Amino acid sequence: MILKKFLPLAALVAVYFLSIAACANHSSSGRIGDFTLNDYDGDKHSLSDYKDSKAIVIIFVATECPISNDYNSRMEKLFNEYSQKDIAFIGINSNKAESVERIKEHAKEKGLTFTILKDEKNIIADKFEASFTPEVYVLNSDFNILYHGRIDSARKESEVETKDLENALNEILAGKEVMKKETKAFGCSIKRI
Amino acid sequence: MIPYKKSKLLILLIFFFCGITSAVFSQPGVTTQVKVINISDLEKIVNQNENRALVINVWATWCLPCREEFPDLVKLAEDYDKKIRVVGISVDEADELDSKVIPFLKDQNAEFENYLIKLADPEDFINLLNKDWSGAIPATFIYDNKGKQNESLIGKQSYELFEKAIKKVID
Repeated sequence: MILKKFLPLAALVAVYFLSIAACANHSSSGRIGDFTLNDYDGDKHSLSDYKDSKAIVIIFVATECPISNDYNSRMEKLFNEYSQKDIAFIGINSNKAESVERIKEHAKEKGLTFTILKDEKNIIADKFEASFTPEVYVLNSDFNILYHGRIDSARKESEVETKDLENALNEILAGKEVMKKETKAFGCSIKRI
Repeated sequence: MIPYKKSKLLILLIFFFCGITSAVFSQPGVTTQVKVINISDLEKIVNQNENRALVINVWATWCLPCREEFPDLVKLAEDYDKKIRVVGISVDEADELDSKVIPFLKDQNAEFENYLIKLADPEDFINLLNKDWSGAIPATFIYDNKGKQNESLIGKQSYELFEKAIKKVID
C-alpha cells in the first residue's frame, strides 16, 4: 500500500535526476545550456545574447598554441565574412596558463577582432567536452550542436582540401542540414586546472 | 673505364653521401632514425604483432606538453626495453624533419622507433588509432601483446601514469 503511494513520486524523482544528468553535458543531448563568461575587457557575454543569430560559432582558442595561431588569419577572415551574414563568432580561451591580460595582448598583436571570452577553471570547455585548440562548435538558436570539429583540413593554408567550417555555415545559411557534422584535426590539448 | 680501386672508392663515397642526405643522424652511442610514413605504413606498424605490448605516442615539436612528457617516454622505453615496443609518431610537417624533429629526438636520446607521418587529411589517421580521439596531442595508445588497444592516454602524462598503463598489459 505504502509502496503504491510512493511509486509515482519515486518515478518523478528518477525522471528529474535523469533529466539533470542528460543536460549536464552535450554528448548525451547534443545541446549546450546557457552560460555567461567575461571577455578580456571584463564585459559579460551570455550565450543567450546571441540566440537571434542564424548560428553561433564557438572556437576554443589559445595564445601559445602554434596550430591555433596558424589559424588566426583564417578565423578573422571567417568572422569578417560570416558576421555580415548574421552568424555570431565567439572565441573561448580555457587554457589555465593563459591570463586575461595575455589574451587581450595576443588579440591585439594578431589582429583578432571577434569576441574572446576567458573560461576560468575551464568550466565551459568541460561543458562542451572540448579538448584541443582550435576546436569549433556551431550551434543553432536553441544551442543544439550543428557542427563540431575543425576549421579546415590542413594547418598550412596552401594545403587545405576541405573547408569544413565554411561548408557547414553555408549549408546552415542555405537552410540545409549540415552534411558533415563531425570532423577531426590535430590540435594542442587544452590545459585544464 | 674507371679502374677497380677508383670505382670502389666512388661507391663508398656514394654510400657516404647517401647516408648524410637520408634522415639519419648519429652521435656516439645514439642513432636517431626517422622514416617518413603514410597511413598504410602505420596500419602495418599497428598490426605487426611482435608478441609484446605496443606503445604508440603521437607528438609534434610544436606541442609543448608533448615535449615535456617525452623524457618520461624515453625512460619508459629504456626501462621496459624487452617487454614493450615503443613507437613515436611525429605529426610535424615533413619539411620540418631535418630542422626540428631529428634534432629534438637526438637531444632526447630517443633510441626507440620513430616515424613522421605524412597526411593529406589527418582524419583517417586519427580514426585509425582511436575513433573516440579528437586529435588533441600528445596522445598515447597502448596495445596488449595480442594487438588489442587497451588504453588511450590523451594529454600530457607522467612516468608513473605511463608505467601504470603498461603494467596492465605486461603483467
